[in-house]
Amino acid sequence: MTGFLEHILLGCQVALSASNLLYCFAGVFIGTLIGVLPGIGPSGTISLLLPITFGISPVSAIIMLAGIYYGSQYGGSTTSILVRIPGEASSVVTCIDGYQMALQGRAGPALGIAAFGSFIAGTIGVVILMFLGQPLSEVAIKFGPPEYFSLMILALTIVTYLAHGSMIKAIIMATLGVFLSQIGIDVVSGHTRFTFEIMELENGVGLIPVVMGLFGIAEVLSNLGESLNRGIFKEKIKGLLPTLKDWADSAGAIIRGTFLGFFLGILPGGGAIVSSFASYAVEKKFSKHPERFGKGAIEGVAGPEAANNAASSGAFIPLFTLGIPANAVMALLLGALMIHGLQPGPLLISQRPDIFWGTIMSMYLGNILLLVLNLPLIGLWVRLLKVPYRILFPLILFFCIIGAYSINNSKFDVVVMFIFGIIGYIFRKFEYEPAPLVMAYILGPMLENSLRQSLMISRGNFSIFFTRPISLSCLAIALFLLVIVIFLRKQRKFIAKIG
Amino acid sequence: MEKYNRVEGWLWLVLGSGICIGAIRLNLGSLHYPGPGFIPFLTGAFLGVFGLILGFSKISNGFEEEITRKKIWAKGSGKNILLPLLALFGYVLLLDLLGFLITTFLFLLLLFKLTEPKRRFIPLALAGSTAVLSYFLFCVWLQCQFPKGAFKFF
Repeated sequence: MTGFLEHILLGCQVALSASNLLYCFAGVFIGTLIGVLPGIGPSGTISLLLPITFGISPVSAIIMLAGIYYGSQYGGSTTSILVRIPGEASSVVTCIDGYQMALQGRAGPALGIAAFGSFIAGTIGVVILMFLGQPLSEVAIKFGPPEYFSLMILALTIVTYLAHGSMIKAIIMATLGVFLSQIGIDVVSGHTRFTFEIMELENGVGLIPVVMGLFGIAEVLSNLGESLNRGIFKEKIKGLLPTLKDWADSAGAIIRGTFLGFFLGILPGGGAIVSSFASYAVEKKFSKHPERFGKGAIEGVAGPEAANNAASSGAFIPLFTLGIPANAVMALLLGALMIHGLQPGPLLISQRPDIFWGTIMSMYLGNILLLVLNLPLIGLWVRLLKVPYRILFPLILFFCIIGAYSINNSKFDVVVMFIFGIIGYIFRKFEYEPAPLVMAYILGPMLENSLRQSLMISRGNFSIFFTRPISLSCLAIALFLLVIVIFLRKQRKFIAKIG
Repeated sequence: MEKYNRVEGWLWLVLGSGICIGAIRLNLGSLHYPGPGFIPFLTGAFLGVFGLILGFSKISNGFEEEITRKKIWAKGSGKNILLPLLALFGYVLLLDLLGFLITTFLFLLLLFKLTEPKRRFIPLALAGSTAVLSYFLFCVWLQCQFPKGAFKFF
């Protein structure tokens, strides 16, 4: 217990230092900003700002980048409620009842409950993270290469399982991600792989140019391909504080959304999007008046908003305890930690407690800052929505160039970003999701090392993956998911055909 | 969409085969001591197999969600996308020659002009102010090393 309190004090010391407070504020402010603005998400922004963090300490960098992630979950609800355009994919479901509330003149309570619900869920999520992080990391120390390999296979399977549309395409993306991670010098043999005698490729294809291309450039190109007409909310927003009845209606939804969101957030690929949809479905299912949903039910805003914020806290569990990212944003944070010379995993918490506890404590502060930013500054966020996309997109493209160039002061990285921008755009057109590719790209080297080490340990015997209980369980779940997806989708098609 | 899936299936199959050939040349090693080509070979094989499933097998139907598909290429979207891409490409080409400040100004002016073709002052003012501000932010404050160009101008 004394050790636990010491860690909390250490975290407070780190998070409350002037510079880290500033980075936390910058992170949540930028997060809210990009959450409000449709057309740029946390993945694109984090990859854009990653090079800027090279000059600062790793803990400050993670505090800022984490702030962007959970801040974007707060900001995303504003546009969903006011203009029925989700600022973030995780706020799509908020459009349904949030916008209806705005049409009924209740935009204020909708925004208010979204902010308070996010705050409560974010704070509870951080508390659970604080209590679960260390014990789980102690369990994770017992993992050997076979367990890691099977866990990563499970993580990639879940990511592909939860992908929209075709699961085959998601598997192809994940496989391509693993392949991309193999380019460069093989650390075991020293051979160069698939570099085609291009010197710049010897260190591999850069993470930042790849992500910037796939998320930043491809997102801009996709938006340019469609018209982005935004209806601006013209009425004055009043009464941001929810009434007692609103609180009574929402309290259960917030608590349920928090726990559901947190535990779905831990699952690889789960994240904020799945949890917000799951929370909405749960609230509708258990409501005494399900007919109110879709017509301005406040629980339909409170639950999903709580769930997506709690999920963003839950996603830190596998990152900090196992070194395995739960989603694309966490994959970028993993990349950021590695760029700063840190190896996320079970030993991170004991070897660099300042990183883990400092980030957790900054998340408490960040949640308070977000409440302050979201409620009184709502007018500012609404005005920001009036900035036309034709002004925004040249700036996004320009910042992508700066971000890619400044990593190594090399035009090669800009060219890589350019190529992956085009590839990412084509992928989107043909409904290939970039998230499994990025996850697999980051997990690729770990996957390869754990497979090779496992085979060396077992003298080439694959049974090592099936004789260890944790490894076997992970592989069995992965196989079960693959089988069930075929069964469920076939069943759905059959029902559609007959009915 | 089946037609597209078939083409995509072929592409993944070709790419997967290429990766497998490259991996074999790298040395696959043995199961006891996997070589540098071992994992690339597996990824190539996976790409090929799933490419085949996507393009040529009915198994893929089991994995597909029934969704209403939009037209892949919307009318008029080509120009909107091509010009910014050309501007981006031009930026890379001209950066060494013209330097950061001038290239940034021209890049932004072109993109703002594309979206505001009838106005003269607004694109000029936006491009100029952004280029100067970004110069002070990135080159002066953050000390990023951008090329100064042939004119040695900033």
